[in-house]
Amino acid sequence: MNARPSGRSLRARRPAWLASLAALLALACAPALSAQVVADRWGPNPPASAEGHRVDTLFWLITTMISASFVIVLLLLLIPVLRDRARPGHRASYDHGSSLHDKRFTAIVSVIVFIVLDASVLYITMRDLREVVWNIPRPGGNTYQVEVLAQQWAWNFRVPGPDGRFGTSDDIVTINALTLPVDRPAVFNLASKDVIHSFYVPDMRVKRDANPGAINQVWFQPAVTGNYDILCAELCGYAHYQMHGTLAVLPQAEFEAWQQEAGALALAAWDGNDSEANWAWEWKENTP
Amino acid sequence: MSGDHIHAEPTGFLRKHVFSVDHKVIAKQFMWFGLVWLLIGGVMAMMIRWQLANPGTPVPLLGKLLYPRGDGSVPPDGYNTLFTMHGTIMIFLGLTPLLIGCFGNFCIPLMIGARDMIFPLLNMLSFWTVVLGGLVGFYSLFVPLGAAEGGWTAYPTLSGNIGTPGSGETLWAIAVFLIGASSIMGGINYITTIVRLRAPGMTWGRLPLTIWGLFFTAILNVLFLPVIGSAMILMVLDRSFGTSFYVPATLNQTGGGDPILYQHLFWIFGHPEVYILILPAWGIISDLLSFFARKPAFAYRVTVGAMAAVTILSAVVYGHHMFTTGMTAMLGESFMLLTMIISVPGEILFFNWLHTLWRGNLRFTTPMLFSMGVIFVFGLGGLTGIYLATIGTDIYLHDTYFVVGHFHLTMAASSLFGAFAGTYFWFPKLFGRMMSEKLGKLHFWTTIIPLTIVFCTMFISGYAGMPRRYYNHTDLPFLRSIQHLNVITSVAAFFLGGAQLIFAFNFIRSRWWGAKAGVNPWQVGTLEWTTPSPPPHHNFDTIPTVVTGPHEYSHPALKDRDWLPQTENLPVA
Repeated sequence: MNARPSGRSLRARRPAWLASLAALLALACAPALSAQVVADRWGPNPPASAEGHRVDTLFWLITTMISASFVIVLLLLLIPVLRDRARPGHRASYDHGSSLHDKRFTAIVSVIVFIVLDASVLYITMRDLREVVWNIPRPGGNTYQVEVLAQQWAWNFRVPGPDGRFGTSDDIVTINALTLPVDRPAVFNLASKDVIHSFYVPDMRVKRDANPGAINQVWFQPAVTGNYDILCAELCGYAHYQMHGTLAVLPQAEFEAWQQEAGALALAAWDGNDSEANWAWEWKENTP
Repeated sequence: MSGDHIHAEPTGFLRKHVFSVDHKVIAKQFMWFGLVWLLIGGVMAMMIRWQLANPGTPVPLLGKLLYPRGDGSVPPDGYNTLFTMHGTIMIFLGLTPLLIGCFGNFCIPLMIGARDMIFPLLNMLSFWTVVLGGLVGFYSLFVPLGAAEGGWTAYPTLSGNIGTPGSGETLWAIAVFLIGASSIMGGINYITTIVRLRAPGMTWGRLPLTIWGLFFTAILNVLFLPVIGSAMILMVLDRSFGTSFYVPATLNQTGGGDPILYQHLFWIFGHPEVYILILPAWGIISDLLSFFARKPAFAYRVTVGAMAAVTILSAVVYGHHMFTTGMTAMLGESFMLLTMIISVPGEILFFNWLHTLWRGNLRFTTPMLFSMGVIFVFGLGGLTGIYLATIGTDIYLHDTYFVVGHFHLTMAASSLFGAFAGTYFWFPKLFGRMMSEKLGKLHFWTTIIPLTIVFCTMFISGYAGMPRRYYNHTDLPFLRSIQHLNVITSVAAFFLGGAQLIFAFNFIRSRWWGAKAGVNPWQVGTLEWTTPSPPPHHNFDTIPTVVTGPHEYSHPALKDRDWLPQTENLPVA
């Protein structure tokens, strides 16, 4: 291959390159902003959990940066399309791009792309992961534990009754309806009776698979009272699309009233011989 | 070595057209086979989109025929079968035969200056194995107790007897095994042919980038198709022979298997599979952008290095498909970091493609338009991958339409655009006739516009939280409020599907009635354009001697033309 004698043409234009890069970054705010309009119109509801905003922040950071990147790619595509189309008397420049200057230029662009696009996102998500996602609250204290047993096609929830302990006769077992106190971290211990399901609460920005034969954990802290949808996100057969539940987040006082009432009902209906109704397992402490 | 005349030209019809060992005939067989399956898979996509836009209403034209027991609407289990088979067919029976089977077989011997593949009989066996796989897969739709319904990923225990009792799922696994076996045979053949049969002077540094792309794909095929093959064997054993490799002890008293084991096996194959499909397309467009920009490919060696880096990295990032499965923090963060690193070679490829066009002399032929289309489509798809590589956002977006939009733009649309570019480009060499440029350009614009709408709308609905693989999105109020996005996607998808009829018409008409192509209609320099269109049985009268690289365009000392065959020396400036 013939190397180009020198990289003069690019080097001479470097200030122009930098100036246009800055202009492009400014320009890229336009698609990011219009995407924000899209989100307001069609996006998810605002997060209802204490840490859900982190997902949205990261989402919009990535959106801004990839919009900038895509605008740059489109412009670099558009310029030759408009300027360099084949016409009589016009000839392409004979350039193999194999000079040292070209290689250096490629390397610099790669480093910039990795730092701007990847490293910043990595840094933020690692921080979020360690502070929130992996940082599952320990049992006890303020933590509210929930056992979730998924099945085709329903969510079984089991929460402690007024005595605050699992495996006793006042355990509250519900199907497709979950009640949580606001502003207390809730830890979900997920498993499945049959096939793999995925516990998905869009408004809380969480999702975790419920696997048969293993216990998976996920947590969030409801921050806003109200009713929210629980969906199944993993294909689980015929009625996958109908596998929803409702999550009710109540103020602490109302929640305690509900717990008393539901606990009393559970106690009245308790049948020690009904093994089908008495599923429960000892989830391990601090399972990752 | 490469000068040998490997086999004599057959005379009987069967030997010549059906059980041929000639790489050019096998390439055409793969092409027709792939196109027919793309049509079937495409019709399935149309039915999926019909159901999502008008849940529970009879499918026009096909409904009564396919679902005679109901009112002609798609039932929920039928819907699961549709997207399962749509994915399987498009990946294994549509794109793989077209991109790898057809272009691999056709281009490798012709572009490296060989008379045929090194193992012609294995080549024939590879084609007939994929045909068998296709037949088994098709038959699986009509068996008692139902067809495959577990998605193309077929996660146990849903794909086990607990979730899918129908023998269709077993036949599906056997079909995937057979198709994988076919790809392994092809891969061994491609690697050996490229290593052993290059014409004199065809050094590694003079190989067209198409061949480099196919070479890396063949390596991934040989390394990772055995993994999916093993996963399928275990699945068949679980389903039909009472083992429990994937069945946990809680569901089965006899053994303690693990459904997550399958997910690891599947994605160890499944992630390289994305690159198996995209690498040939990258190779093809890296060549075509240079050919039609009339300019040398920018930084050839760096492009090859970037493709090699992607090939290696593709094997160590599969865990990003399993962030919600229940990974440890250490594994999750490692897979995230490795996945992010892929963006560097990816960015270098874009940089080189754009630089190839820069100050070129661009000829906007149909192959050129589709190659530039790959830059656009893969740009959208590749950049949106960052959301899914990042665990923080992936947890929310996983298994929503965001993922569907992302992987369709990358592995489906980009590969398909590469396949279209290749089809328009090599059609004259394959069949000796030109495809209509006018219809080709119409096909390009009527494809890329609806395609962008289809998959970008999926990004919006996915961000809103719309889960994938739902039969009906109108059950929940929050999904009902974005149902109109489904309607937009579906209408655009129907335009997209309809536009492919332009291609089918152009293909069929040009095949028999197109204008005769000369030896070198595109004025390019690679070896296949030095021999007649279509090439004779033995490809080259004399094996060419290669003296220059594949991308010598617009050399200043070339006066009457701007291209140079690989068999001619560079002029003295």
